[in-house]
Amino acid sequence: MKIYFPNFFQALLLIVLFTGGSAAFANEKSFIDEIKGADAPFDNRSVKLVRPVTLETVLAKEEYQGGAFRVLARKQHIERYKCSSCHVPGKPVLVQQGFELTHGDVVINHGRKGNELSCIDCHNQEDRDYLEDKKGRKIDFDHSYQLCGQCHFRQKRDWLGGAHGKRVTNWAGDRVVYNCASCHNPHSPRFEKRFPATYSVPLN
Amino acid sequence: MGFTKKDKAEKIIEDVLEKPSSRRTFLKGASIAMAAGSAALATGCMPSGDDSSSGEMQLRWQEYFKKHYRLMTQKEKDETVDRLERLAKIQDDIDVQIGTEPPIENVLYGYAFNISRCEGFMECVTACVKENNLDRKTNTQYIRIFEMEPGKLDPSTGDGQFYHKVPVENKFYMGVQCFHCENAPCIKACPTKATWREPDGIVVVDYNWCIGCRYCQAACPYFGRRFNWGKGEVPKEELTTKQHYLGNRKRPMGKMEKCTFCIQRTRKGRLPACVDACPTGSRVFGNLLDPDSEIRYVLKHKKVFRMKENIGTQPKFWYFID
Repeated sequence: MKIYFPNFFQALLLIVLFTGGSAAFANEKSFIDEIKGADAPFDNRSVKLVRPVTLETVLAKEEYQGGAFRVLARKQHIERYKCSSCHVPGKPVLVQQGFELTHGDVVINHGRKGNELSCIDCHNQEDRDYLEDKKGRKIDFDHSYQLCGQCHFRQKRDWLGGAHGKRVTNWAGDRVVYNCASCHNPHSPRFEKRFPATYSVPLN
Repeated sequence: MGFTKKDKAEKIIEDVLEKPSSRRTFLKGASIAMAAGSAALATGCMPSGDDSSSGEMQLRWQEYFKKHYRLMTQKEKDETVDRLERLAKIQDDIDVQIGTEPPIENVLYGYAFNISRCEGFMECVTACVKENNLDRKTNTQYIRIFEMEPGKLDPSTGDGQFYHKVPVENKFYMGVQCFHCENAPCIKACPTKATWREPDGIVVVDYNWCIGCRYCQAACPYFGRRFNWGKGEVPKEELTTKQHYLGNRKRPMGKMEKCTFCIQRTRKGRLPACVDACPTGSRVFGNLLDPDSEIRYVLKHKKVFRMKENIGTQPKFWYFID
């Protein structure tokens, strides 16, 4: 009997230690588990916004994981839109006039070197107020992601999900994201090399 | 489980801090007496009509003996904010609005950084300096961008002081700032409990409770904290006047400060200044508890990693690649 008592207490101690230890272990894991377990939809509109997006937006024709969302409109940023004010069917526009009037600044640097895209790869040849994809669908300038995404489908997938591009102004509220052409020049989509905005000094 | 333990810890802290301390009560009583005395002295000595300096002195006395932010009632928060706003008006002739917005329910902030997109333009750094009213004299910056060799993932091997045309071929860029760890070593190191984790995951500093010992700076494995060596000189026209008590308000000299995920913006639904300024979309910010948020998409669909994951600090800042 005398030998039995310490054993019993030892066992009790072990049990206490073991359960305590496993509880601590569960605590350490809980942060990521908590995120993974957070499946309840969050009402983004419940956050009162102090700075709603004032830029003009359009409702996107596709959905992200949270449903419908909006993209920045593009058309009012295109100088001399509508294009049909010059490009009237049946009235050809000379290349010379085009260079002088509007398209002189366009440099095509899109596609492989020596095999760059031409205008009508993206622009609708008949109706210049629209773009055109490879299936011949008319695409609105405000919804150019439908056109860009036929080649850049990985970027488009990430853009829809939120890993490419970014939201405008707010993380909460209705989702508004930048359009493809808000950041990229469609004629020369890669960002140009430039000096950084500032520099860093050694840490204190 | 995680919450209950934290709550318990917070309860203990509150109990310890709130226990009637004879020293505190003595000082408080003394402060009121001295404030009254000094005000009387000032009004007695100075020509009548010069109210601003005695008013300033009174405000500063009251500021000296205010409570820790977490122990203040909303009324006390409003009072200190009012004092700080009036002091800013008297001392620097600027109108600031200091907020004390509480954390939003069901929100845990998370951040992701795309190392295959960042091109080192440093727009985030300038936006951060401007938004957070960082000291221009000592050139304080919360964010650092490192130019990295391919295959290396430790920023200490990168160049943190580049200034040439970017991006450079065959290099990648990696941004470092406060990672707002769930298990933050800086919080444990602080001897005055002047830094803590808010319920929405932001690690904040009470600038008035900080004694400037810099233990937290030594404890941080990510070099995320900055010490305020100067008085925080900001040109008046560049000052961000929308402020938060725990964020970009004027810091006294000799205090620790750091990235707060722009608490003055994020608690009102806005994106942090760095995310807003990024021209490449490398920075993703959002609510980790919202299954439809962008940050959750990144965590679910991208290859992510965190810096020095093995030391168990649990940062809420992920790096990812396309």
